[in-house]
Amino acid sequence: MTAEKPEENQAAKTPSDQPDETARREFIAKAVSVFAGGAIVSVPIGVGVATLLGPAFKEGQGGIKIRLAALEDLPGDGSPKLYQVVAERKDAWTKYPQKPIGSVFLQKLEDGGVIAFNSSCPHAGCSVGFKSKEVGYYCPCHESIFLLDGSRGDPCVSPRGLDSLEVDKERLNGGEVWVTFQNFAAGIEEKKAI
Amino acid sequence: MKRFLDWIDDRTGIAKLTREALFESVPGGARWRYVWGSTLSFAIMVQFITGIFLWMAYSPSATTAWESVYYIQNEMSYGWLLRGIHHWTAQIMVVLLLLHLVQVVIDSAYRAPREFNFWFGVILLFITLAISLTGYLLPWDQKGFWATKVATNLAGIVPFIGDDIQKVIIGGSDYGHHTLTRFFALHAGVLPGALVALIVVHIYLFRRHGITEAKPATRAGALYYWSLLGVVFGTLTALAFAFEENTKQWVPKIVCGAFIAILVRIGFLIRSGKDDDSPTRPKRDGMFWPDQILKDAIACAAVMGAVLFFVFWKGTELTPPADPSQPYNAARPDWYFMSLFQMLKFSAFEGAFGLLIGAIFVPSILVTAIFIMPLIGQSKKGHWINVVMLYSLIGGFVILTAMGFNHDANDEEYKQGVLNAHAEAERLNELIDINGGIPPEGALTLLYNDPKIRGARLYAANCASCHPFGGTDGLGGKAKDPSAPDLKGVGSKKWIAGLLDHNRYVSEEYFGKTKFSKGKMARHLKDIDMLPEDIEVVSAALASEAKVYGYSLPEGGQDFIDSGFDLMFEDFECADCHGIQGEDEGSGPSLTGYMSRDWMIDFIGDPTHEKFYGKKNDRMPSFLGAKQEDGTMKAGELSRKEVELIVGWLREEWPRASE
Repeated sequence: MTAEKPEENQAAKTPSDQPDETARREFIAKAVSVFAGGAIVSVPIGVGVATLLGPAFKEGQGGIKIRLAALEDLPGDGSPKLYQVVAERKDAWTKYPQKPIGSVFLQKLEDGGVIAFNSSCPHAGCSVGFKSKEVGYYCPCHESIFLLDGSRGDPCVSPRGLDSLEVDKERLNGGEVWVTFQNFAAGIEEKKAI
Repeated sequence: MKRFLDWIDDRTGIAKLTREALFESVPGGARWRYVWGSTLSFAIMVQFITGIFLWMAYSPSATTAWESVYYIQNEMSYGWLLRGIHHWTAQIMVVLLLLHLVQVVIDSAYRAPREFNFWFGVILLFITLAISLTGYLLPWDQKGFWATKVATNLAGIVPFIGDDIQKVIIGGSDYGHHTLTRFFALHAGVLPGALVALIVVHIYLFRRHGITEAKPATRAGALYYWSLLGVVFGTLTALAFAFEENTKQWVPKIVCGAFIAILVRIGFLIRSGKDDDSPTRPKRDGMFWPDQILKDAIACAAVMGAVLFFVFWKGTELTPPADPSQPYNAARPDWYFMSLFQMLKFSAFEGAFGLLIGAIFVPSILVTAIFIMPLIGQSKKGHWINVVMLYSLIGGFVILTAMGFNHDANDEEYKQGVLNAHAEAERLNELIDINGGIPPEGALTLLYNDPKIRGARLYAANCASCHPFGGTDGLGGKAKDPSAPDLKGVGSKKWIAGLLDHNRYVSEEYFGKTKFSKGKMARHLKDIDMLPEDIEVVSAALASEAKVYGYSLPEGGQDFIDSGFDLMFEDFECADCHGIQGEDEGSGPSLTGYMSRDWMIDFIGDPTHEKFYGKKNDRMPSFLGAKQEDGTMKAGELSRKEVELIVGWLREEWPRASE
C-alpha cells in the first residue's frame, strides 16, 4: 500500500557507510513517497468529495405560483383549511409532471382577503395542524402553538411565526386563490427562502 | 504530545504495528518488479473510494439505474470524472492482475512455503473478475444488459442445477429490478467484503514468508525489459500517428513522449558500459520504507496517470437504456472476457454439449491448471512447465482477444450497431435536455416517443422490406431487395421533382419494380413530357402541400406556387385523375394535402382507400386496417401512434434542442 505514512517514522535510521549521502537520499525518497502517495490518493478522494458537495452549490428550485382553490370554497367562518400543493417538480433526474410538494393553510379574512401559511413548522420542519379557532395552529413535535394570524402563541419554541405565502390579489378579486408556494429555512428568526 | 502518543501506543500497540508494516526487510534491495502487488492494492483502494461515492448517487432498479448513471455522468459536478476513474481503473486492474500473476509465476513465488498465498491470490483474481462482471450490468444500458444476458445464460447451462443458479442470480426468470438489486449487492457488498477478507490473509501470508527474492538485476536484464517496453510504446506511437485523425490531438503527443523517455533510458543503460552480466547495483538488502515504497508510489502514480489518460481520451461510455425488445448488434462482453466469447464461436463448441464444454469445461480445466501450479512448480522442470503453460495461456488469451476485435473491426453489422447505439445515446441526451428531465417511467419512454429514433426503427421493421431509405433500411443497414420507391426526402420538392420525371418514375428509384411503372401515370408522364422548368413549378406547388420539415416558400412566393397548380389543372390535366386542392377526387391518389402529415398517416393506414390507390393498390399493406369486401374490418399491423412516428420521421418532424 502506498498511503501516506506518519511523519514520525521519517526519523528511522538505517546503518550506512556514508551517513550523510545515505541520509540525504533517504530523505528525498521519503519526501517523494509521501508526496506522490498523497497526491494520487487525493485524486479519487478529491473527485468523490467534489461530487458529494455538489448539491451545496446548487440553487433551490424557487417559488411556484399555483391555484389552490376557488374563494367560495373556503370556510366562511374564517377557520383555516389545508390544501395540498401538487406541481411539476424535478427530483434529480426525474421530472414529475404532478408531484406533491407540500401543503398550505388558507384562511378567509373578514375583509374578504385570504392569508396563506406554509404548513411546515418554522422550528424544525414538522407538519403543523389546525386545532381550533380558539387555540390556533399546533405543532405536535415540540408542542408549539401559533395564533390564527400565524404569530407565535404560548407555549412556542419556534424562533418565528408561521411562514405566510404571497396570495395573488388580482386573481383573488376574480374569485380564485393563487399562492406563491415556497419553503423557508427552519430554525432561524429570519424568514429565508430556500 | 509525546505522552499522549505513548498513551495511544500503550493502549493500541500501533507503533509496533507501524514498525512491522514499514520496516520489513527487502532482500536484495528494492526492485521495480516488486511493485505489481502494491499497484493492485492501490487500484483496489481507488475502486473502494470511487465506488462508495458512486454508491451515494446510484439507484438500482430497472427504471432508475440508467437514469441515475446518466445523472452522475452528465449532471453531477465532476460525476463524469468519478465514474471515469472507477470504470478505467477496473480495466487497468485486470492488466495489473495479469502482470502480478506473471511476476509470481516467473519468480516461482508460489513455491513452498507460499502455496497457500498463491491459491488465495488466484481466488482473489476470480473475485475481482466477478466484481467486474457484476459492475458491467449496473448502468443497465444496452451494452451491459446484453453482455450480462449472455453471461447468465451460460451459467444456466451448468448441468443439473444451471437453471436454478440462473434464476437465483437474476432474481427470477426475467431480467429486472431484482437482477439489479442482486448484482449491486454482490458488486458493492458481498464480493468486496470477501475481497478485503482475502486480501488481509493474502498480505498476512506475504509478510509471514517475506518477499521472494528475484535474481539480481543485471544490465542485460534491464536492457531487455526496457527494450520490450520500447517496442510496445513504439507500436503505440505508430498507431497513434496512423490514426491521428480519429483521435484527440494530445494523445499521440503523450504516447510519443513516453516512447522518447524510454529511448533515453535505454540510451543511458547502453552508455553505463558495465559488463553485460554484472548487476546494475551492488546487492544490498533494502527496507520496505522508504526504498520499496518510493518505487511503489511512483508505479501507482503511473497507474493513476494511465487511468486519467483514458478518462480524458476515451471518455466513459453509456449506451442507450437496456431494452429487451431492441436487439443490440454490438453486444460484446468487456475486453477481458472477449477471448472466452470468441472461443465459443469455434465449431468445436457447437451445440448444447459443445457449449457446455466451451463455456464450463474448458475454463474449469484452465482454472484447475493455474491452481495446481505450486504443486507442479516445486522442481526446476516443473517451474518451466508452469512458465510455458502461463505464457501459452496468455498467448491464447491475446490471440483470441485479437481475433474477436479483428472480427468486429470488419463486421459491418457490428460497426453499424455501435454507430446506432452512439447516435441513440446522443439523441437521448438531447431529448432529456428538451424535456427538462426524465419521465418517471424511465428514459426509454423518451426514445419510444421520439420520431427520429423510434420512427426509423419502425420503418426498418415494417417498411424497409419494400421501400429503401437512401439505399439503406433506415438504420444505416443495407436495404434488401427493394421493390418500391425510396422514401428518403419524401414530400420535399426534390423528391417530388424526381417523381415527375418519367425516366426516374419508371426507374427502381421510384416505381420501377411495381405495376405502376406500366400504369396510367407512367404513360401520362411520357405523353406530356414535362420540361425541367415545368417540373420545377409543379414540384414547388406540391411541396407546398406537403410542407415537410425545413420547407420554405420558393423565391417566386405564393404566385409561383399558384402557377404550379394552374399548370396541373390546365396544361397537364392532372385533375382528370387526381383530386387537387379539394377539387373532385378522381381515380388516382388525392393530391389535396399531398404528403402532408395527415395525408401520409391516412395513406399508410389504408392505401386501398378510394382516396388513394383503391383497388389498384400494389401490395402495400393497410397498416391501420381496411374494410374488407364483405364489410368487416381487417386489423392493421401497426397502431396509429406507430404510424405517426414513422410519418414524423419521414417528414423529419421531431423535437429539436434549438426550438
